[in-house]
Amino acid sequence: MSNQSFEEGKLMAVIGDEDTCVGFLLGGIGEINEQRQSNFMVVEKDTTAAQIDECFKRFVARDDIAIIMINQIYADMIRTTIDKHLLPVPTVLEIPSKQHAYDSSKDSILKRAQGILKPTGRRR
Amino acid sequence: MTADDSKSEKNAAGQLLDSMYLDMFYLIEAHTQCRVDIERTNSSGAILLARTKFQQGGHSLTTAQIPTENSAEFNALCRVVEKAERVSIERHSVDKESGYVEPLHWFSVLPPMSLRTAVERFKKSIELVAESTNLQRELAKILNGIDRLRRSVAQ
Repeated sequence: MSNQSFEEGKLMAVIGDEDTCVGFLLGGIGEINEQRQSNFMVVEKDTTAAQIDECFKRFVARDDIAIIMINQIYADMIRTTIDKHLLPVPTVLEIPSKQHAYDSSKDSILKRAQGILKPTGRRR
Repeated sequence: MTADDSKSEKNAAGQLLDSMYLDMFYLIEAHTQCRVDIERTNSSGAILLARTKFQQGGHSLTTAQIPTENSAEFNALCRVVEKAERVSIERHSVDKESGYVEPLHWFSVLPPMSLRTAVERFKKSIELVAESTNLQRELAKILNGIDRLRRSVAQ
């Protein structure tokens, strides 16, 4: 591994429940930088959609983050914001959580693909 | 442009669209499969985390042990490196002096085997996430291409 390519590499961020965050942090993705910004958010029972939305936008605005993982259940809470994010970087990945299985019909990218398959006249 | 030229151009565009649709279907299948693999790997890791909690007590693995913005700064052990439009994961070895700390030590000084195995599962999941990112970016590119081509054919 070259140190230079590692330093130039970007981070992964995670917005998820306790198990998802603990798991990925154990995997080594977590970081707290010099500005005291973390790249993870643990969603608790009392966390509001506005707080998730604000955190998501903060991660999107950071240029050192390449991938944002978000539990699909929380992505559903901020679906409008996620659907608006069409840039390839950071890539937003909707991942399943312990209690909620992955539902491909809710995934933003697959919804776009479904839209493409509709005849032109019927598309919005 | 003659009517024949226009017809052959439309045929070529139609063939290109067909091949792009095929690519799209292949990518959708691979993308969904990758998510299912992530789900399986994460579930397996979560079961091992639950086993660790059962063996060590409910408070052995909680968010209270995760560093916060008020904790000392530290660097991520794995980073996303992009080469030739593909992302991959590179790992840094643990080096406490340079800020590369071992995340296992937030939870336990002597981590049990179940926790160590859980870490391996989540490391595997991180690799799958990188693969899923590549597939998703490729799929987004194909969708943009189809959209552009369909619009130009419609004009």
